[in-house]
Amino acid sequence: MSEIHLKINDREVTTQSGQTVLEAAKSAGVEIPVLCHHPALSNWGACRMCVVEVEGMRTLQTACTLPATEGMVVKTHTEQTFDIRKFVLELLFSERNHYCMYCQMSGDCELQDQAYGHGLDHWTYPRPYEKQEVDATRKYFIMDHNRCILCSRCVRACTEIAANHTLGLRNRGAQTMISADLNVPFGASSCVECGTCLQVCPTGALIDARSAYGGREKDVTHTQTTCMQCSVGCDLDVVTRYNRLLRVDGVWDSAPNGGLLCVDGRFTPLYETRKRVVKPLVRKDGKLTESSWEEALGLVADTLKGSTCQGLAACATTNEALAAFAGLMTQLGGQAGRLEPVAPALGYGVPATVADVLDADFIIVAGAQPLEYQRVVGYFIHRAADKGATVAVIGDSENALNKRAALSVASAQAGVVAQAAADAEKIVLVYSVGIKPEVVAALKPLGDKVSFLALDPARNGKGAEAAGLKPQSPTKTDVAYILLGEQPVADALRVPAGFKVVQTAYHSALTEQADVVLPTPLWYERSGHVTTLDGVDKSLQTVLPAPADVRDESVVLAQLTALLRS
Amino acid sequence: MGKIKVATQWLEACAGCHMSFLDIDERIVEFFKHVELTSSPLTDLKHPPEEGVDVGILTGGIGNEDELHEAQEMRERSKLLIALGDCAVFGGICTMRNFFPTEEVLRRGYIETESTVDGQIPQHEDLAPLTDKVSGVGDVVPVDIYLPGCPPTADAIWHVLTELLAGRMPKLEGKVLKYGMDGG
Repeated sequence: MSEIHLKINDREVTTQSGQTVLEAAKSAGVEIPVLCHHPALSNWGACRMCVVEVEGMRTLQTACTLPATEGMVVKTHTEQTFDIRKFVLELLFSERNHYCMYCQMSGDCELQDQAYGHGLDHWTYPRPYEKQEVDATRKYFIMDHNRCILCSRCVRACTEIAANHTLGLRNRGAQTMISADLNVPFGASSCVECGTCLQVCPTGALIDARSAYGGREKDVTHTQTTCMQCSVGCDLDVVTRYNRLLRVDGVWDSAPNGGLLCVDGRFTPLYETRKRVVKPLVRKDGKLTESSWEEALGLVADTLKGSTCQGLAACATTNEALAAFAGLMTQLGGQAGRLEPVAPALGYGVPATVADVLDADFIIVAGAQPLEYQRVVGYFIHRAADKGATVAVIGDSENALNKRAALSVASAQAGVVAQAAADAEKIVLVYSVGIKPEVVAALKPLGDKVSFLALDPARNGKGAEAAGLKPQSPTKTDVAYILLGEQPVADALRVPAGFKVVQTAYHSALTEQADVVLPTPLWYERSGHVTTLDGVDKSLQTVLPAPADVRDESVVLAQLTALLRS
Repeated sequence: MGKIKVATQWLEACAGCHMSFLDIDERIVEFFKHVELTSSPLTDLKHPPEEGVDVGILTGGIGNEDELHEAQEMRERSKLLIALGDCAVFGGICTMRNFFPTEEVLRRGYIETESTVDGQIPQHEDLAPLTDKVSGVGDVVPVDIYLPGCPPTADAIWHVLTELLAGRMPKLEGKVLKYGMDGG
């Protein structure tokens, strides 16, 4: 990369080769208006808002697609560029329904902002009043084609970030429409509802069903925290107003996900329907009855004293809570383990990070379903495949990744994959609890050429590992102490212990069996840390306060520890 | 110098723009030191005087023949015409009906609404026929100043009026150029 010197608005600007004029201007503090451009997406040059005058060039140039070159002389804000940008806006407003008064984006709309900036106090051109479709067939967000300016940010987000290729443009000219697959309703399409398109839409064309009309940017609060829905540990930007959870956005430039979220990170937890536990419950006369913390913890402490005990944690809580839990169980002389299984160690290869998937040229997926359980990893595999990486899936059941896999074999044929990968430069093995010993053996010849990413099926499996918790099944003890958090529990889970303490956020089949139920906070009510797949400790921020009688597990475990000492 | 004559009229509008004008609050006292309001929907006289006014203010869009006539009359009798509010500027919320044929709109509104029993489309010689499409004032007569907003804020209205009183053409930018309720 070499230095480039150019002149922007009579100022000397130094930039790197490969930068566009738009980027060079931005680095020099000059904001050029844009609409179709988005920093997380490839440059498109469709909207013509960013046109600039370049000395020696016959016509105006789109700054977002024009590479900066040595000696270039650029003017970004002239009468001509202003007039052209205003003209572009006039044309955009003349196409579809851009009446701000009944649009949920009014106040936060990039089209509106540009119109204000260009003094558009009325429209010159007549409008066709053609009725476009509103597609509300998806659960979490709505596409209103009437508000669309065809900037194609959503298409590029779907293609480049989610690598899902659902969205495209059909027809041409004024008839151009955003389409899903071969023009099917969004809800019936291959859309995975990651919501990246929603986040990049500059107008009110993509509408979040929950946060629409819920508050403008100036009214809301943003809190950054870490997603606790799986082990990837994506950064979340949680948007709230008046103690109400409005929306979750991805955080651009954050590791490991770079702003990409999945349906479980962005939408699902905001539509939780399970019944919350908000007060400590103690079983009296066969019925779970609300009690005070004092009574509930007193009962738990009394029962624990002199009893055999097994502690089982769903790794769905903070490192702090998992460590306190393991500590308490050790102090009691009991067993402590985790409920979820753990992916086996390979005995060869070097650990990979989630981001390594993106520049692998050969990806082996074995005994794992990342598109189901660690979706962002799945999307990253798709992205790598788009760049030409070979994807090989090894497994004995259906895998959603098969569609994009060059090679898809049963465990018994894993050797075929090892052979195919032999000449690859950068091999990443993505595996999980489903990997069979014969697959581990068959891939062994690849040795340390393999970078491996062991997907932990638990949300904070790495935190549990650090706390020394290993998989255990419920055994027959006097007391079982189950740290469940928000984790759903299989109806079939039976705990044979005589007395059962369940620390959980929701009522479930397990609370039905419990003798004491202690309420825990939800992901957005927590503070503390989780450890991501990459082994990074990430902090959780309290987005909203927990209900009055809900206490963090680590606090409760410390109180119990103190009670047991007394 | 005598007072400046101002006339206002609302067309296909909700009256919100006039309410927003009243939101200039005590500034109205200062306003009327310089201005004679010859006619308005809020006062006894509804039509601008034949001899004309200095400034005509129209709120609301053009949705029927009567509103078209009112707009033409105001234009003829005003030296300077202001289209005030999103309806007068862009056609506004009433343009929602432009996406449907007029007959369908009337049928839906007067007969098919869920709460209507034995409805009929009103027809009377006193009722002005609807125009095919709702439009802004600027689509039917020349407009000198556009002030969008639903409604424009009292401050935006005050800005335009005081600039005119000072003998300047108002420039709309920043907080006084807003669409919809974005200014409020």
